[in-house]
Amino acid sequence: MSRRWTRKAIVNEATLVLIGIPVFLWTMIPVYHLFLFSISSKDSATSGRLWPKEPTLQNFDFVFHQKHFYLDHFWLQLWNSVLIAGAVGVITLFVATTAAFAISRLKVRGGRTVMNLALFTYFIPAAFLAVPMYKTMGLYGLLNSQWALILAMVTIASPYCIWVLKQASDKLPWELDEAARIDGASPLQLFRLVYLPLMVPSLVAVGTYALLLAWNEYLYAFLLLSNDRSVTLSVALGNFLSADDSPWELLMATGLIYALPPAAIYYAFKRYMVGGLTAGAVKS
Amino acid sequence: MASLAFRDVEKSFGSVKVIHGIGFDIADGEFTVLVGPSGCGKSTLLRMLAGLEEISGGTIAIDGTVVNEVESKDRDIAMVFQSYALYPHMTVADNMGFSLKLRKADPKLTAERVAHAAKILNLGPYLERFPRELSGGQRQRVAMGRAIVRDPKVFLFDEPLSNLDAKLRVAMRAEIKALHQRLKTTTVYVTHDQVEAMTMADKIVVMQDGRIEQIGSPLELYDRPANLFVAQFIGSPAMNVIPGTLRRDGGAAWIEAEGGTRWPLPASAPGRDGQAVVYGVRPGDLSLGGGAGAVPAEVIVVEPTGAETELLVQAGAAQVIVVMHGRTDVQPGQKIALAVALESVHLFDPAGGATMRG
Repeated sequence: MSRRWTRKAIVNEATLVLIGIPVFLWTMIPVYHLFLFSISSKDSATSGRLWPKEPTLQNFDFVFHQKHFYLDHFWLQLWNSVLIAGAVGVITLFVATTAAFAISRLKVRGGRTVMNLALFTYFIPAAFLAVPMYKTMGLYGLLNSQWALILAMVTIASPYCIWVLKQASDKLPWELDEAARIDGASPLQLFRLVYLPLMVPSLVAVGTYALLLAWNEYLYAFLLLSNDRSVTLSVALGNFLSADDSPWELLMATGLIYALPPAAIYYAFKRYMVGGLTAGAVKS
Repeated sequence: MASLAFRDVEKSFGSVKVIHGIGFDIADGEFTVLVGPSGCGKSTLLRMLAGLEEISGGTIAIDGTVVNEVESKDRDIAMVFQSYALYPHMTVADNMGFSLKLRKADPKLTAERVAHAAKILNLGPYLERFPRELSGGQRQRVAMGRAIVRDPKVFLFDEPLSNLDAKLRVAMRAEIKALHQRLKTTTVYVTHDQVEAMTMADKIVVMQDGRIEQIGSPLELYDRPANLFVAQFIGSPAMNVIPGTLRRDGGAAWIEAEGGTRWPLPASAPGRDGQAVVYGVRPGDLSLGGGAGAVPAEVIVVEPTGAETELLVQAGAAQVIVVMHGRTDVQPGQKIALAVALESVHLFDPAGGATMRG
């Protein structure tokens, strides 16, 4: 590579490195810490070494075989997390896609108001709504049902998802709808055969967002679910800290396992995050 | 195949009226071009015919049936958009067969119709490709194929060539015309390009500000423009117009333009002595040469195009364009005399621009 190291290039490069190194350390040190604990034995976990003397996978054995009081329901709780996150992703997608389609493409009356309301929800932090949400779920008799958490997370995720999908919908060429209408498509056919296929990248992005939001949720899960058999793994992880001598190495091993699916999902859907499917639709 | 009838058609967007009571007929199989500057309402009129815009007043009828309240899909029309509007996630074949699929047609019949259209348009090798893998001209042809497969009563074209480069535009122009001659489907074509209108149309509708200025065959509009707007809009380069005063002396008549230049008129020209008029003469009706009534001028710019030569000349206070066949050795700055083909001169009323007729 015959790159010329001009003064400007060096300054630019140095600036990037200067910003990049702290950001990298800031992100990676906790993750490394997590990893380090998870491969250390109970005695050496807090020794302060950068690499354990005798790395071990024993902690994972404990977790997978539920060999600790705190891990009695590990597999069930992991399944709860999967189920709830999946349901939140699917239901949020349904709500947000149909809303965005109706507002952006069918131009239903009152669409603007809905968008403004959706934006307004962001003036109130989700934590403020925890208690009212608890009361509401109590009124509906949903407390301690996983539906309570699913509905709450859909409520929290939807406004943002509607916004993102509405913006993405607005960018689809209007002529496509008109061409489809002339070709004989009903609104439902337009939605199914033209709109959805073109929105796939945005749908994946938004669905992933909702799914991860639910996967990572602690406060609402803690509040709305109380039975050990119905809570998500994030709540179970919190319970580790209720003892005086918490099994940190098991907590970290479980935490590492819990962190892997989101990382895998990000990696798998990375290519969808970048659009490009609409290339060739219209001359731009 | 169908005839079309527009009756007192009006369109308002809120309180803004953009089409003011338009009425005309299109015969079965006719190729009609709506032409006018941007914002004249031609696209809106087409979209009303397509059912993409509501009709605020009046009626539009296809084959004698008023379609004001009929949905687009039930009007049996096909439209080609300026931006092609191809479905990006479908192959060329799926794009063309989409309307039949929606009508739940037999897949075999769809495949046949698609293959037939692809053959007409030379799209055979591209049927399995996606729109993004095609060139602009090919995409345009797919858009036309989508219309052909439908076998509709009416083809609608909304500025279909304006996204193509100049060379391709000329080729596609001929292709669309050939297609029409082959299929003989009633066609309504919108463009702002008068050359497209002239070369393709059986009938041209010239529009301005939501009103019709004139309807006629291309050569009718060229030879007998109804007013100054049509005269200047149709024809390239545009007609030279020179404001002046009509003078008569015995059997002779001429226009005295600003700066005292005299532009000759036939004795039979309408109008009275001393009347203010606008004098119009097409660049092709001017030539170099002396003789009685020749107008003195000075060459400013010479633009050879090969087959023709365009001269921009200063005649008195007016700058006029002269188109000469073949080549010339005149130079910028040279004094020349312009001969006018008297039978081709037009006179317009400066108030309103209507053509003065004898």
